Amino acid sequence: MGKQKRVILPPDLPPEVSEEAIEVSDEDLQFVNENLDYAGFVSRLDTHSITKHVTRVADLKEDALEALYEKRLKKKKALQKDEEEEEQPGIQVGRLDALPVKTLDGQLYYRPLSKASKPTEDGGEGEEHAQETDKGLVKLNKAERRAKLKKSKKEAKKQAKELPPDEVKDNPQTAVLAELKEDITAEESFETKKCKLAELGIALLADPESNIKLLKEMLQMCNDHNHAIVKLGLLSLLAVFKDIIPGYRIRLPTEKELEMKVSKDVKKMRYYESTLLSAYKAYLQKLMVLEKVSLYQHAVVRCICTLLDAVPHFNYRESLVEVVVRNISSSDEVIRKLCCDTIKSLFTNEGKHSGEVTGAAIRLIANYVKAHNCQMHPDSIQVLMSLSFDEDLHRSEAPDKDKKVKKKHYKKGNRLEESSHPQPNDRKKSRQEMMSKMREEVAADYKAASFDPDIMERRRMQSETLSAVFEIYFRILKHTMHSIVPRPNGDTGTTHVTEAHPLLGPCLDGLGKFSHLIDLDYIGDLMNYLKKLACSGGKSDSSGKCVTVSERLRCCIIAFKVMRNNLDALNVDLQDFFVQLYNLILEYRPGRDRGEVLAEALKMMLCNDRQHDMQKAAAFIKRLATFSLCFESAESMAALVTLKHLLQKNIKCRVLLENDPGGGSVSGSVAKYQPYALDPNQSGALASVLWELNLLTKHYHPTISTMASGVANLSIAPTQTYLSRLSPQQAFLDLSLERESFSLKINVMKSSNKRKRASEGAATSSVDRILEEAGSLDEGEVKKKLSEHYMLLHDIKENERLRSELDRTTRALSLYDEYKKQKKQKRGGKNVS
Amino acid sequence: MRTLDEKETTQVFEKLFKFAGNNLKNIVDGASHEGPDPAPGRYCFRLCKNRVFYVSESLVRRATNVGRHNLASLGTCVGKFTKGGSFHLTIQALGILAANARHKVWLKPTSEMSFLYGNHVLKGGLGRITENINPGDGVVVFSMSDVPLGFGISQRSTQDCRKLDPNGLVVLHQADIGEYLRMEDEL
Repeated sequence: MGKQKRVILPPDLPPEVSEEAIEVSDEDLQFVNENLDYAGFVSRLDTHSITKHVTRVADLKEDALEALYEKRLKKKKALQKDEEEEEQPGIQVGRLDALPVKTLDGQLYYRPLSKASKPTEDGGEGEEHAQETDKGLVKLNKAERRAKLKKSKKEAKKQAKELPPDEVKDNPQTAVLAELKEDITAEESFETKKCKLAELGIALLADPESNIKLLKEMLQMCNDHNHAIVKLGLLSLLAVFKDIIPGYRIRLPTEKELEMKVSKDVKKMRYYESTLLSAYKAYLQKLMVLEKVSLYQHAVVRCICTLLDAVPHFNYRESLVEVVVRNISSSDEVIRKLCCDTIKSLFTNEGKHSGEVTGAAIRLIANYVKAHNCQMHPDSIQVLMSLSFDEDLHRSEAPDKDKKVKKKHYKKGNRLEESSHPQPNDRKKSRQEMMSKMREEVAADYKAASFDPDIMERRRMQSETLSAVFEIYFRILKHTMHSIVPRPNGDTGTTHVTEAHPLLGPCLDGLGKFSHLIDLDYIGDLMNYLKKLACSGGKSDSSGKCVTVSERLRCCIIAFKVMRNNLDALNVDLQDFFVQLYNLILEYRPGRDRGEVLAEALKMMLCNDRQHDMQKAAAFIKRLATFSLCFESAESMAALVTLKHLLQKNIKCRVLLENDPGGGSVSGSVAKYQPYALDPNQSGALASVLWELNLLTKHYHPTISTMASGVANLSIAPTQTYLSRLSPQQAFLDLSLERESFSLKINVMKSSNKRKRASEGAATSSVDRILEEAGSLDEGEVKKKLSEHYMLLHDIKENERLRSELDRTTRALSLYDEYKKQKKQKRGGKNVS
Repeated sequence: MRTLDEKETTQVFEKLFKFAGNNLKNIVDGASHEGPDPAPGRYCFRLCKNRVFYVSESLVRRATNVGRHNLASLGTCVGKFTKGGSFHLTIQALGILAANARHKVWLKPTSEMSFLYGNHVLKGGLGRITENINPGDGVVVFSMSDVPLGFGISQRSTQDCRKLDPNGLVVLHQADIGEYLRMEDEL
């Protein structure tokens, strides 16, 4: 409050002072002489007001004079108020002012609204004003101040005391400005402000060292009540800061350092840095305040994101990170995207801030996830995917250890030698010690001087980051678990359906990506969680499931990835996940679930695994064949590729291809195929026959039919042992890409002969491809041609139909004729007889 | 030949449960297709001269015609009760166990022979192992080509196996198919 008062005070106080006793110091005179620009301005103002005033003073009494003073003061105050109301509500900061206005009348609402839009601003603003006054002074006094600086440091410190003389000049200026502004229309002022912003910005960019104080002016512009101007101001400040912020972190000099004597350049630099830093701080405070106002939110978030992206090394980055993380799962699409992109770029460009911000951001995200109970937008976790951990650090550490061990050995050896040769005199020993000491010192110095980030430090940072990341992931998994587990008890399926797991998908992705970094100790728990998640939908899928099929499939995939990445030595058979996959294949629905996930699961679990039990492999073969019968071409192609792969690897399973149910001696304990068995080992699939392949050879899609016939012939041509390189995923992608164009193909094929298609599938497909290309080139023409073609076909068909009708009628007629003839003959015969 | 009493039944089932887990249901409830009866019967357990047999019902009915002293064996021998009253699984049960095993271990071809001579399974001989084994679980031992070789009791959990040195014990030997040769007379 005190500060604010001071702000308001200056305009009305000085005139009294100025009239009564103007003590023009030598310095001031000198200054005026030096800076004629200022002087001219000031003198003009003075004459303007003073002549008026003096002429009146001349023929007025003392009382009248005072009355005049009062009048003038009142007028000035009113003016000022007007000015404040119209131009800069932000400047008229006083809560004191705000209060009486509130109590007055209907205008009440206008003020509080304009105030409410910047509620917390006042505090920051107060400081700003303090700085502003400083700045005003500094601006006027710059040359003078420099002169003083040469003389003594202390005077430079006491800038505040120079306030009064400045205000003398300041005051008339503001008065005139106010008068001028009254005349200017709002539009013009907008234009001028825009221009001013541009000028200031350009000036700053042109020579930031000398114009650094303009920052404060720009900051002041951001207090405008016109929000367009505020936005412009914020954005132009952003541009300026982005450009002038140095590539290092500014550390303000301590008091001790301030007292030390330094060169002029250093002083200048210090001044520059401190001004920049304070302006930056004020700017950030302004941003933080405005961030809560919905009107400015977009612009402010953009500013913050850009700043964090551009200068993540600079001071106050923590608050920037905090704001960005807070907005990371914002409901606003634009803001969320901005924030996520910023975080991603933070993660990918770690060189800019040597990884410190990464750790901070991830810890913040972890806290955020915790606070929001895992109910966030998936994008916010997706950003973690762009993290990268330097594995070389771990590797480089290992040799170090080796070296240490070697060194130890070496030392031991030395000691042994020494002990064996105690003769070498002490001088040599002491010299050696000295040498080693020197070496250590040099190494330490070198380390301190070199800009190489300490490897140990980086390792520590990385491990912290990693633990935070896994904390997030495990928390999400656990949360998902907990939301699933109580469900069977409560049996309130409807309420639980709404509670989705938005984060589970990206969480699983992340686990898959960083699976090789998981500590072995956690793997057991992780596998348990994954298993429970994968099983979770199975029991209660009738009452709407929490975890979708694709998510459960993902769980299986992740489990395999984790195992594969960590356990090269031990080959673990994930029986339970195979059981899950076996059942999930049945639950898969093409439209609802994601086919790529299924294809990936098939590849991961069935194709990449080295060995399978015969029973299990047979069960999967049988199920995949059944599966491929009833799904779309892409899915069935993926299934068929897997099936072929399994058959090629498990030669014994080829009994399935024989036309002999029962499976003979290999069929195992289960003598009959049980399609509903939950466990692949108990299904007795070896006792069945792959009759599905026969149907699949008649598939409408040529690729699938050829594939199916190829698989069916596997047992006949066992010499053909090459393993197809095609993966299920690839097959799925190929066909699903083809899917769009395939509808056209079918149309074309309809016209062609069925047998021809079966035998010359490849040829027709190539023809189709050409057609397709033509279609892509000129669709309209093809459409026309096709329609013509179909018209023709239609005509032909119509023709045929008509002909057949004609035939029938003529036949009927002829029959009738015959009948008549016969009747006549009979009659004739009767008559004859 | 008689049915098992309550105590004996729990003993047998506990042992089998160790190996088969929830698949014990399949062992007990599984339909048998033995005999000429058109309707598939079930399997049941019968005790004969301290040995427990896993027999289809149709066979039991026919076996009642044979005198107790003359009846040497029927169905599949699963195990025997020792003089002390405890129940041991014997190697003949391998077929049933292998088909319903919950935990499996696959041996590398090099260590198959050692196991078949009655030695324990070491980490070094492990070709593959089912996930989620706990110490004390029953484990069925397979060769890499899925031929059941025997069974035993796990000594370590799957997790611990990772850190184990190659000479550490993983599965304690209980029975192996080598016994058909080595202990022909006793079986």
